[in-house]
Amino acid sequence: MPAERKPGYDMPYYNWSPIPTRPRLRWPNGERVALSVILSLDHYQWKPTNDFTNGGMPGSQPEHAYKAPEAPGGVSGGGRPFPDVIGFSVREYGPRVGIFRVLKILDKHGIKPTIAIDALTAENYPYLVRVLKERGCEFMAHGIAANQMITSRMTEEQERDYIRRSIEAVTKATGVRPKGWLGIEFGESERTASILADEGIGYVCDWPNDDQPYHMNTPTGDMYSLPVNLTLVDLRSHWYGRIHVDTYAKMITDSFDVVYREGAETGRLMVLNFQPWLMGTGFRSKHLDRALGHICRHGGIWKASAGEIIDHCRSQAGG
Amino acid sequence: MLEPNLSPYAPIVDRPVVRWPNNARVALWVAPNVEYMDFMPAPNDGRGGFFRTVYSRTPAPDVAAFALQDYGNRVCFWRMLEVFDQHKIRCTVSLNEAILEHFAETKEALLKRDYAFMSHGIYNNRFLNLLSIDEERAFFKDCVDSLKRHTGKQLKGMLTPAVSPSANTHNIMAEAGLIYNADWGHDDQPFPMKVETGRLITMPYNLDLNDGTYNRFGCTPEYWAQCVKDQFDVMYEEGAENGKQVCVSLHPSIIGHPSRVKYLDDVLGYMMGHDGVWQTTADDIADYYMENYYDDMVAHLENHDYQS
Repeated sequence: MPAERKPGYDMPYYNWSPIPTRPRLRWPNGERVALSVILSLDHYQWKPTNDFTNGGMPGSQPEHAYKAPEAPGGVSGGGRPFPDVIGFSVREYGPRVGIFRVLKILDKHGIKPTIAIDALTAENYPYLVRVLKERGCEFMAHGIAANQMITSRMTEEQERDYIRRSIEAVTKATGVRPKGWLGIEFGESERTASILADEGIGYVCDWPNDDQPYHMNTPTGDMYSLPVNLTLVDLRSHWYGRIHVDTYAKMITDSFDVVYREGAETGRLMVLNFQPWLMGTGFRSKHLDRALGHICRHGGIWKASAGEIIDHCRSQAGG
Repeated sequence: MLEPNLSPYAPIVDRPVVRWPNNARVALWVAPNVEYMDFMPAPNDGRGGFFRTVYSRTPAPDVAAFALQDYGNRVCFWRMLEVFDQHKIRCTVSLNEAILEHFAETKEALLKRDYAFMSHGIYNNRFLNLLSIDEERAFFKDCVDSLKRHTGKQLKGMLTPAVSPSANTHNIMAEAGLIYNADWGHDDQPFPMKVETGRLITMPYNLDLNDGTYNRFGCTPEYWAQCVKDQFDVMYEEGAENGKQVCVSLHPSIIGHPSRVKYLDDVLGYMMGHDGVWQTTADDIADYYMENYYDDMVAHLENHDYQS
C-alpha cells in the first residue's frame, strides 16, 4: 500500500529514531565497538530455480523460489544455463577449503564467528556442523538454499513453511534452536519479521540500517534487529562490485576507525558478514587478515557473537 | 544427499595430504586460452539462450569483437610466447582445436615448445550444455581425434568451451578416455569425480582470478598481477603442509596486450623466483595424481562418511 503523508514510516516494524537523539548505549565493559563476524554457509542448488534470468527448469523448485538475478553465478554473473558448474563449483570451494582458511584467520585474531547456515548445508554437511559446534559457535537460521530467497512472491503459508523448515533444520543439526535469522540475499516479504517473531526468532540481520541494534515491533514475540554492514558484505562489494581487495580491506579498516572514534560517545556496532567461498580464497584471505589485524590492535572492542550482543541489549532494556 | 555429488565432499583439512614431486609446495600450471570463434556463427536455434551468442553487441558479425580476439592470435600470442620462453614456462594450452586447422604457424609454435594440450573444444562459441548425448559423444570423439591427427598426442583433459558443460559431460569425457576435467573451480587440489566408466579427476582451473574476468570488471593489470602474487603467496605458505596448485589462467588478447604484457613477466618472474615450485602442466599433474593419490582419495571417501 502506498505511503500516507504523515510522520514516521509507512511500515510497522520499527520506529523512526535518528541516532543523535538516543540515550547512550553501553557495551558490557564500556567498550566502544561490538565486533561480530557472521559467516554465511549456503548451498547453491545444482538444479536451478525458476528464475527470471535463463535456463530455469520448471518443476525443479517450488514455484515461488527465487534467485536474485545478480547472484553468482561465476565469471559471467547472472547465472548460466543448467548446469551452472561455475556457480556451483566456486561456491563449493567454501565448505571444501575456504572456511578452514577463514577460521584460521579468525582464530589468530581471537574472533569466534557466528554461523548463518541454510537448511541444505545444515542437513548435508554434518562434518562441518560438528567442527563449528566443537568450537562453540552460535548458529543462526539462514533460509533453505543460496538460490531460494524469500520474496513477496510467496504466499504467507509458503513463507511460514520455508521459515519453519529453515529453523528446524538448524535445530536438528546443532541440537539448539536458533535465535537469530539472516535471510538469503537479505530477502524478506512485507510479512517476514512478523512470521519470524511468531516462530520464536529473537533477532534478525536483514535490515542493514544502523550502527546499533534496536528493538522491533512485531505483533508477537520480542524481536531485535542486528544490522549488518551491508556495504562491507564481501558478496556485495567484492563479487558484484569487484572492488579491489586492498581497497575493500581499507574500507573495513576505515569504517572501523570511524565507529571506534564515535564509540567513545555511544556504543557502536561492527557486524561483518563473509562468504567463505569468497573471502576464503587465498588472495582475498590475505587482506582479511590484514584488516582484522588493524581492528584487533585496538583496546575497547567487545568481540561477541550476534546472540550475545542481542542478549546484552535485552538485559539493558530490562527484560 | 545433495545433487549432484559428482565430486564428493571431503574437507581439505581432513583428507590425505598431497605431496608433489621433490616435495614442491606448489604445482604451477600456466594456461593460456588459445581460442577461435566463427566469424558468422550458425543461427541461434533457440537451444542455448543468450549463452550461444558471444557477439551480443550487434547481430553477427561483430567485427570489433572478432578482431580483438584475432589480435590475440595474430600479434599478442607471439608476444606472450616470448615471455613464457624467457621464464622457461611449459604451458598447458587451453585450445580451441580448430586453431590447429586454421593457423599452421600457431600449431607449429605450440608443438615446438612441447606444451601440453588441454582441449577447450573446437570453437569457443560452440557449447555443450544443450547437446544430446549422441552429439556430445561425437564432439568428444572429434576433440580426441583432431588432437591425435594434428599433434600425435593423446588428449587427457578439457576445459569445456566457455565452460559450458552439460549434465552428462563428466561421464562422456571419461568414456572418451580423458582423465581430467578443468571446469570445476571447487578446490586447491585435484579431486576424484564419480563417473560411470573410467577414472576422472577435477583439475581446478582458476575461474575467479582470470585475466578475462578482471578485464571484464575493469580492473587494472597491476591489480591483477598483485592478486595473482597474493594467491601464490598463500598457496606457497600452505603448500609446506599440503601440496597446493596454482593455475594462472590467461588469454593472449588480454595479457599479451602491449599495456599488460609486462605484468605477465612480473608474475611469472615472481613465482619462478621461489624454490619449491613444480612448474608443470595439467597433464602431468593429472598423471601424478592418478598414480599417487586417486586410489587413496577414493578409499578415504569410502572410509569417511561426511554426509551423516
